Amino acid sequence: MIQEAAPEKPGRQSLSLKLKAARTGSLRKSLRKDSSLYLLALPGIIILILFAYLPMSGLILVFKNYNYNDGIFGSPWAGFSNFEFFFSSMEDALRATRNTVMLNALYMLTGTFFSVAIAVILNELRSKWFIKVTQSVMFFPYFISWIIIGAILFSLLDYDKGILNQLFQSLGLAQMDWYSSPWLFVIILVLANIWKSAGYGAIIYYAVLQGIDTSYYEAARIDGASRWQIITKITIPMLIPSIILMTLLGIGGMLKGDLSMIMGVTFLNPLLLPTTDIIDVYVYRTAIRSGEFGFASAITLYQSVFGFILVLLANKLAGWYDKDSKLF
Amino acid sequence: MKKKKGWLSLLLSAVFLLSACSQGNNESANSGDSGNSGSGGTAPAATADSGTGGTTLAPAKLKIVLYGDESNRMKELAKTDFYDVIKKEINAEVEFQFLPWTEYGGGKTDLMLSTGEDFATYTDANYMVKSVAKGLYADLTPYVGAAADLSKTVDEASFTAFQLDSKQYAIPVGNKPNSAEFYSVLVRQDLLEEAGMKQVTSLAELEQFYDKVHALHPELIGYASTDARRMLQYDFTDKNLYWQNDFIALDESAQNDQIINWFESDEFKAYAKLMRGWYEKGIIPKYAATNVPQLQSDWNSGKAMFWAGTAARPFEGAATISQAVPDAKLVNYFLGTGRPKISRGTYSTAFFVSAAAKDPERYVMFFNLLQKNQELYDLFAYGIKGTDYTLDDNGRLTKISTDSLIPDWLLMNKNFIRFDNTVPDDFIAKYKAWDDGAIISKGAGFNFDNTPVKNEETKLNGVFTEYLAPIGSGFSDYDTAFPKALERLKAAGIDKYIAEYQKQFSEWYAKSK
Amino acid sequence: MQTTESKGLLILFYACIAVFSAICLVPFVLAVSGSLSTESRIAAEGYSFWPRGFTFETYEFLFGSKAEQILRAYSMSVVVTVLGTLTAVLVTTAYAYVISVKGFKLKNFFAFFAYFTMLFSGGTLPWYLLSTKYYHLGDTLLGLFIPYVLSVFLMFLMANYFRSIPHEIVESAQIDGAGHLRIFFSIMIPLGRVGLITISLFYALQFWNDFYLPLMLVSDQDLYTIQYLMYNMMANIQFLASGNAAQVGGAIIAPPLETAKMAMTCLTVLPIAILYPFLQRFFVKGIVVGSVKG
Repeated sequence: MIQEAAPEKPGRQSLSLKLKAARTGSLRKSLRKDSSLYLLALPGIIILILFAYLPMSGLILVFKNYNYNDGIFGSPWAGFSNFEFFFSSMEDALRATRNTVMLNALYMLTGTFFSVAIAVILNELRSKWFIKVTQSVMFFPYFISWIIIGAILFSLLDYDKGILNQLFQSLGLAQMDWYSSPWLFVIILVLANIWKSAGYGAIIYYAVLQGIDTSYYEAARIDGASRWQIITKITIPMLIPSIILMTLLGIGGMLKGDLSMIMGVTFLNPLLLPTTDIIDVYVYRTAIRSGEFGFASAITLYQSVFGFILVLLANKLAGWYDKDSKLF
Repeated sequence: MKKKKGWLSLLLSAVFLLSACSQGNNESANSGDSGNSGSGGTAPAATADSGTGGTTLAPAKLKIVLYGDESNRMKELAKTDFYDVIKKEINAEVEFQFLPWTEYGGGKTDLMLSTGEDFATYTDANYMVKSVAKGLYADLTPYVGAAADLSKTVDEASFTAFQLDSKQYAIPVGNKPNSAEFYSVLVRQDLLEEAGMKQVTSLAELEQFYDKVHALHPELIGYASTDARRMLQYDFTDKNLYWQNDFIALDESAQNDQIINWFESDEFKAYAKLMRGWYEKGIIPKYAATNVPQLQSDWNSGKAMFWAGTAARPFEGAATISQAVPDAKLVNYFLGTGRPKISRGTYSTAFFVSAAAKDPERYVMFFNLLQKNQELYDLFAYGIKGTDYTLDDNGRLTKISTDSLIPDWLLMNKNFIRFDNTVPDDFIAKYKAWDDGAIISKGAGFNFDNTPVKNEETKLNGVFTEYLAPIGSGFSDYDTAFPKALERLKAAGIDKYIAEYQKQFSEWYAKSK
Repeated sequence: MQTTESKGLLILFYACIAVFSAICLVPFVLAVSGSLSTESRIAAEGYSFWPRGFTFETYEFLFGSKAEQILRAYSMSVVVTVLGTLTAVLVTTAYAYVISVKGFKLKNFFAFFAYFTMLFSGGTLPWYLLSTKYYHLGDTLLGLFIPYVLSVFLMFLMANYFRSIPHEIVESAQIDGAGHLRIFFSIMIPLGRVGLITISLFYALQFWNDFYLPLMLVSDQDLYTIQYLMYNMMANIQFLASGNAAQVGGAIIAPPLETAKMAMTCLTVLPIAILYPFLQRFFVKGIVVGSVKG
C-alpha cells in the first residue's frame, strides 16, 4: 500500500489522511493514556524549570540598577534606562540590527542550501569508505575556532603578503584591499560560515534520509525514474519538514550574532564595521568595553523579543503550509 | 494561543514568587553575616596592631582567588608550608582557588561577588570603581592598620590609588619601577648598530633609523604597535601629557586641575598627522589596521625595529626575541629630554575583599604577610630554599623547579626581589634607578564615578573604536575623517562627559591638594 | 542499468564532495603542522603544510609537568561525556516523544514551553546563584552535566525524527493495546535509531567540548575536565604573552601562543576523529516499513 502511494506523494500527509477514519477510535483510547506522557515529559520539565525558567526571574535585572546590598529584587528600578545607550544612537542601532538580520539571513539561506546539498549527494553515493571519510572530514571545521580561521584567512587576504594578492599580481591583476571592503567581506563571512557549518548541518539532514523507507526508491527505480528525478521528486520533498524545522529553530536567533566569528575573522577592523557591526559587536565595543554588563543584558532581551516575534510569525506561516510543520 | 499565554504567565509568576522568597532568605543570611563580621572584626584589631599576631586570634578560614594555572608545586605548598606559616602567623586557614585569566575583573569573579561568597582577590582601579558602586567590595579603611608591615614596603601613592571618597577599598601589593610606561622607544640596538647609528634621541633620528634599516632589510616592519602618543609627545607638544583614558589627558607640567579633551585638542591633530605619515611611509604596516596581534608576533619574532618601552622590557622582551634572533639587543630611548617621568604609583596590583567576607581584617593581615619581610617574600614567591631554588654568593637566584607559586609579578617588590644570574648587573642598576626623578601623576588616586554619564561613556566607546582609533593610528586621514568623527563624538555626548569629568576632577583636586 | 546521464551526475557528485572535503581538511592539516612547529618560525613565516622546525615542544609545554593531572582530566571528561550523553538522550527522547505524539492535546504547550527557553534566558547571575546556593551543584560530578541534559534544539530535532516514523506503526500498536511507555521504548526508540545516534553524537560532542560548567561550578582540581584544563592553560598563556606579567626577576618562559592554539585544535578534533567513524556504522539504512507492519 505504501509503495503505491509513495512515488506520487511521499509526504506522510497522504498516509495519515487515508488512515484518519481508523484513527478516531484509537484516539480516545490514547487520551486516556496521557498520564504516561506527563511522566515521560517530567524529567525534561524539571530541567527546564530548574535551569531556564527559575533563572529567568533574572530578566528583572534588565530594568534595575543592580547592587549587592539590595539584592536582585530590592535594587532600585531603572526603567528602560539600560536600553538607552543603544536606542538613543538610532543610526548605530539600525545599522547593527540591519547587519545582524542581513548576515543571519544569508547564513541561513546558504547554510541550508549547502547542508541539504551535501546530505542529498552523500545519500546518492555508494562507496562506503568514501562516505565515511568525507563525512568525518567535513565535520572538522566545526571544531576549529574562529581565531584560527581568522589567522588562516589573513594569510590568504593580506594586502602585501596574502596568497590571493600574490596570485593576482602574478596574473597581472590589481591587488585587492580586502580588509577595507566592507561589502566584499560579507561574501567572505558567508563563505566562512558555509565552510564551518555545512558539514555539521548535513549530518542532520543525512540522518533524516537514512530513516526513509527504501521502498520509495525501489518503486521509483522500477518506474524508470532517473537519478535526478529521484532526487527532486523524492529525496528533497522528504527533507522539507526538516528544513522548515531548522529554519524555524534558527529564526528565533535572527537577531543574535556570533561575536567570536566577527572578532576572529575581521579582527574588529574599523573599516569593515559598516557591514560587520552586528548587534553583538556593537554591544561588545560599547557596553562590554565600558564594563556596563547591565546594558549588555538589556540588549540581549531586545534580541530575544525581536526573535520571538519573528518566530511567532514564521510559525504561523509554516502552519499555513502544513499544520504538522509548526513548532508549537 | 491565549490559553498557552495564560499557562505561561501563571508559571512565571510562580517562579518570580519562589525566587523572590529565596532571595529574601539569602539577604537575611547576608545581613547576619555582616553583623558577625562587625563583632568579630573589632575584637582582634588590637592584637593585629601589636604586630606579632597569631596566638590570640580566633581561627579563621580565608579563600584567596588567584588567576592563572595552579602548578603542582603550588598545590603542594598550599597544603604544607604555606598553610603552616599562615596558620602560625595569623591563625588562618587559607585556601587558594585558581581561575582562568578570562575571569579577571568580571566573569566568574563578578558572579562570586554578586552571590555573596567570602573571598579576596586582586583588582585594578577600573574594576574597583564599578564594583564599589554595586556594593561588592568590603570597606577596608578600619583594617589598614593590619597591613602595617606592608605599608613600609609599598609606597603611599599606591594606597591612595585604591581609595574612593577617602575609603580604602583595596590593599596594594608590589613595588616596582613603572614610571613612564610606553613613553620610551624600545629599539633593536643590534639593528641600530648595523645601520651605523649609535643612539636615537629624537623623532628625526628614529625615522632615519627606520630608513637605513629599511634599505638593509626591507622585510622588517618599523613600529610594532598602533599607539605611539606617549613616545611621540616630545614632538607634538610641549606639555607633559598623561592619559586618564582614551578621551582625557592631563598636563603634568601645569599645576592646575584642567583636564584636556584629547580628541578635540591641537595635540591630537598634530599626533594624528605624525601617525598618518608613519602609516603612509610603512613604518606602521598596512595590516596593522586589521591584525593587531600580528604586530606583536612580528616583534616577538624579531621582525620589527622598535616598540614602546617600559623599565622591564629591555630584559623581559629579549628572552622571546632571542629565540628568533640570538644576538638581538634591546635599549630604551626617549625622543626628547627635560620632562619628568610620570608614575601612577609603584604597585603591581591590589587585593580587595568581598563584601560578604566574615573577617575582612584577617584578609588584610594575610596581604600583609605577602610583603612583610624577605623571608616570607622568598617563601611565597620562590618556595623552599634548597628544594625550589638556590641562592649564590651574590644573592642571585637559581630556580630548581619552574613551577610558579604565588605569581612573582604580583608580589614583585624592589625591596625583596631576587634576580637570577642571566640578568646583567648594568641592567639591574638601570632598572632600580629607573624611577629616579619621576613624579606621581596629579591624577593618581582620582577615580571617576561614571554613573551620571554611563550612557555617554558607553556610546563614546563605540565612536572611539570605529572613528577615532583609526585616525589616531594613521589608518584614516585626519583632514578627511575627523569632521565626521567629531560629529559622532558630539552626538554621543562628549561635551557632557568632559564637563562631568572636569567637575569631579576639580572637586577631588581641591580636596586632595 | 544506469544511464550515462546519471553516471555523469554521480561522478560530479563524487567530485563535489571530494573538493569540499579537501577544503575542510586544509586548516586541520595546517593545525597539525603548526602544533609541531617551533613558535618563532610560525610567528615569523606563518602557517605551512609541513611543520617548520619539527618539534614536540608545544605538547611538552602543555603537558610537560602535568601528565598526571591531564590523565585525570581526560578520564573525568570521559565519565562526564558518557553519563551526560546517556542521561541527556533519555531525557531528550522522552520529551521529544511527548511533543511528537499525534493528537496529544498539550503537545503544543510542551513544545512552546521548551522553545521559549531557547530564546529567553535570565543571564548567568541568577543561574549561578541557583546552581550553587540552592541546587548545591558546586564541586559535584552532577554539576558537570545535569544543567545541559536537555538541549531544546536537539529535542526538536529528535521529535522531527520521531514524526517521520510512519504513524500506522504506532497505530497498530495502539490497537494492540500498547501504552505510551511501551510504544516509546519498544517502537519509537528502535525505529528512531538513526535520529538517536545523531543526537547522541551531538550530545557527546557538547559534553566533551564543554568548559563552561566546570568554569562556573568547579574549583576542585580533581573535577577538572580536559577542555577546562586546556581553556585554563590557554587563558594563562595568552596573559603571559600579552606582556602584562613583567617578570624581570628571572628567566622568562616564552609561552608558545600560536603553536599552542594549533595544538588545542588538534586535541579537540581528536575525539571526533576517533568517535565519528565508529558511530557511522549505525548510519545505515534500516527502516523498512513493510517489514515492521508485516
